[in-house]
Amino acid sequence: MERSRLGVVTDGAFNTGLTVRLDADRSTEDLRVGEFVVIEGKSNRYFSMISDMQLRVSDPRLLSSPPDDAPPLVAHALAGTSTYATVEVKPMLMLDLTSDLDELRGPQSVRTIPMHFAALYEASEMDFATVFGKEGGTNFAVGTPVTMDIPICLRLDRFVERSNGIFGQSGTGKSFLARLLLSGIVTSRAAANLIFDMHSEYAFDKQTEDGHWVRGLRELLGSQVLVYSLDAEAAARRNVDVTLIIGLNQIEAEDIMLLADELDLTATTAATAGLLGDQYGDDWLRQLLAMSPDELAQFCQSSGAHPEATKALQRKLREVQRRGYLTEKASFSLIDEMVTALGKGRSAILEFGRHDSPLDYMLVANIVTRRVRRLYQQKMERFEETKAEADRPLQLMITLEEAHKFLNPTVARQTIFGTIAREMRKYNVTLMVIDQRPSGIDPEVMSQLGTRITGLLTEERDIDAVLTGVSGRSFLRGSLASLDTRQQLLLMGHAVPMPITVRTRSYDKEFYQDIQRGGRAQELPDVVATDIWAE
Amino acid sequence: MRIGEIIESTSTHFVAEGFELNHPPALGSFVRVCVGEGCDLYGVVCYGETGSLDPGRRAVRRSTEESFDDQIYRESPQLEHVLRTEFTSLAVGVIERGEVLQCLPSQPPPLHFSVHGCSADETTLFTENLHYFRILLRASGLVPVEQLLAANIRQVHRGRGEDKDWLQRAAREAANLLKYDYDRLMTLLYAIEPTS
Ligand SMILES: Nc1ncnc2c1ncn2[C@@H]1O[C@H](COP(=O)(O)OP(=O)(O)OP(=O)(O)O)[C@@H](O)[C@H]1O
Ligand SMILES: [Mg+2]
Repeated sequence: MERSRLGVVTDGAFNTGLTVRLDADRSTEDLRVGEFVVIEGKSNRYFSMISDMQLRVSDPRLLSSPPDDAPPLVAHALAGTSTYATVEVKPMLMLDLTSDLDELRGPQSVRTIPMHFAALYEASEMDFATVFGKEGGTNFAVGTPVTMDIPICLRLDRFVERSNGIFGQSGTGKSFLARLLLSGIVTSRAAANLIFDMHSEYAFDKQTEDGHWVRGLRELLGSQVLVYSLDAEAAARRNVDVTLIIGLNQIEAEDIMLLADELDLTATTAATAGLLGDQYGDDWLRQLLAMSPDELAQFCQSSGAHPEATKALQRKLREVQRRGYLTEKASFSLIDEMVTALGKGRSAILEFGRHDSPLDYMLVANIVTRRVRRLYQQKMERFEETKAEADRPLQLMITLEEAHKFLNPTVARQTIFGTIAREMRKYNVTLMVIDQRPSGIDPEVMSQLGTRITGLLTEERDIDAVLTGVSGRSFLRGSLASLDTRQQLLLMGHAVPMPITVRTRSYDKEFYQDIQRGGRAQELPDVVATDIWAE
Repeated sequence: MRIGEIIESTSTHFVAEGFELNHPPALGSFVRVCVGEGCDLYGVVCYGETGSLDPGRRAVRRSTEESFDDQIYRESPQLEHVLRTEFTSLAVGVIERGEVLQCLPSQPPPLHFSVHGCSADETTLFTENLHYFRILLRASGLVPVEQLLAANIRQVHRGRGEDKDWLQRAAREAANLLKYDYDRLMTLLYAIEPTS
């Protein structure tokens, strides 16, 4: 295929990238920072990214007396000779054109740079396909290049294998992207999903910001997705599978620490929960709520707890107790059944309905996830004993909106989500964290995110955070800053061969059709009759 | 057409006495000297001068209230014999059996050989390539090089029938060669910008 030429390499270094002088008939305005381009060396093809552009003049006198109103001939003569542009290009992958082996293996990491006057080209469709692969299986088309109409694929199997993150300002399309990815993951069976849906936006039809309706995952994917709700009233109106009830006995001291901010508790007060836990075990909260002032004083004396702090804790938790989804005592059976379904490859969405305050969201997500993790840990231990493939736990990905609430530096060390981000890859459980402000997330957690997808971010701190531990941050910074405010994303990390800017695929009728076509081909195996979700 | 005879010849340039008093070929125009069978040496006119035949003598005023300009010559036909017009050309290449070489010729042209004006076809053939600009820009005559090149570009442009593409190419080539000398470049570019 004919590629169109942009310029020639004139300078550069392996570490910092190459300088390319643009051809005289090329304008910087036709290019974008972050654009995927190709350098054709003598024996290698380099798949690269534009990291910066500069305007140059050959004679500094031109700067002090620029020819304003230059007649056409003058302007034409100056362009590309006295005034010209250079672009900085960073090779990301290379293909050895001399070896047949590389044809088969595909592009490899860059080990060298081309010589002077190697030509720079716009990437062709072929180049995109060589690097990002063809659509199909776990190779999921997330979007298209900004200027072309061909699919850019993300490797879903690699995506779910490690925790990952979706970031961007409000309205950049994070939740829509999550739907796209979840649809792909469900139909390609790359992982089972547990989705904490704080704003009840994933399961059912939802109106977009521009006013039309889009389909929910339950409607799109049918019985492969189970819907749980915390809100009994909403559950009755909507097509919900299970209404989730949480028992006071399931709330642990750890949960209270997590909620310290939401409940406005001091550190001492939160610590009191720990003392109660030591004394009463599972039953601590019920005991605390039932204590008379005398009993409370007695407890403080015997345990060394601070009386004022204990009283404050009791008062605060009595407010919590009134939540509709809480009951005295509940068994874990609902959550355990959900884990069984996840273990069979189904996905579950937990809607919060009207209980969508941060407190409810954090409390319930934490309790559910803690239980899920315990069960997955057991599954893994069983698998390690039996070594039978049938016992290997299916990959589980937990989708978490407003992730900073669980993963900010103050709480990330204590919450179950922090643990999962740091170590649960071992147990085949990973997170998909979604957040507007990556700077609010513990850097240690950020550095664990294998794949990061980000829409426009404007705050310096957020940009820094999202690029934590990424090589070549300085030029990715440029691509990030040049994203559109909507439906444009920068993909980087484990699930893509090289960072790339894409126009996000539209979540629309055409997509539903593609998914349903792919989905039918990979219908779930028959579920056993006792399965409570069999339809 | 023969327009002069070589009276001084060097590796880089040659001086000819013109056949027509006061009318040396245009600054920047192409001339050629036939130096052998099918071999022409090409030059670009870089200087013209009219003066006394006797180098020691300066011309004196001859006009009166009634008689001036052309009339002076009509009234004093002997002037044709005491004055002469000379022009200098820079050697810029050779065309040998149709093949254009833009570089200094290996030999200076022979003294007393004829200098010819170039036809439009000859100019067109020679100026397909623009490497000779570099030779012009290295000239060390009295005419500033950017003026010389501008004059040449204007002449060729006209000779090639106002070929716009060629003019643009020439402007770019000049801009490229003078990219480190903005002031000269702008002088040149404004000088060749078509006026229409
Ligand atoms: N892939 C897409 N297909 C169709 N519409 C989209 C897509 N991405 C974004 N949009 C449009 O942009 C709007 C905002 O997207 P979305 O709700 O995903 O933003 P967000 O990043 O999750 O914002 P917030 O941080 O406020 O939750 C949507 O309502 C929709 O109109
Ligand atoms: Mg959202």
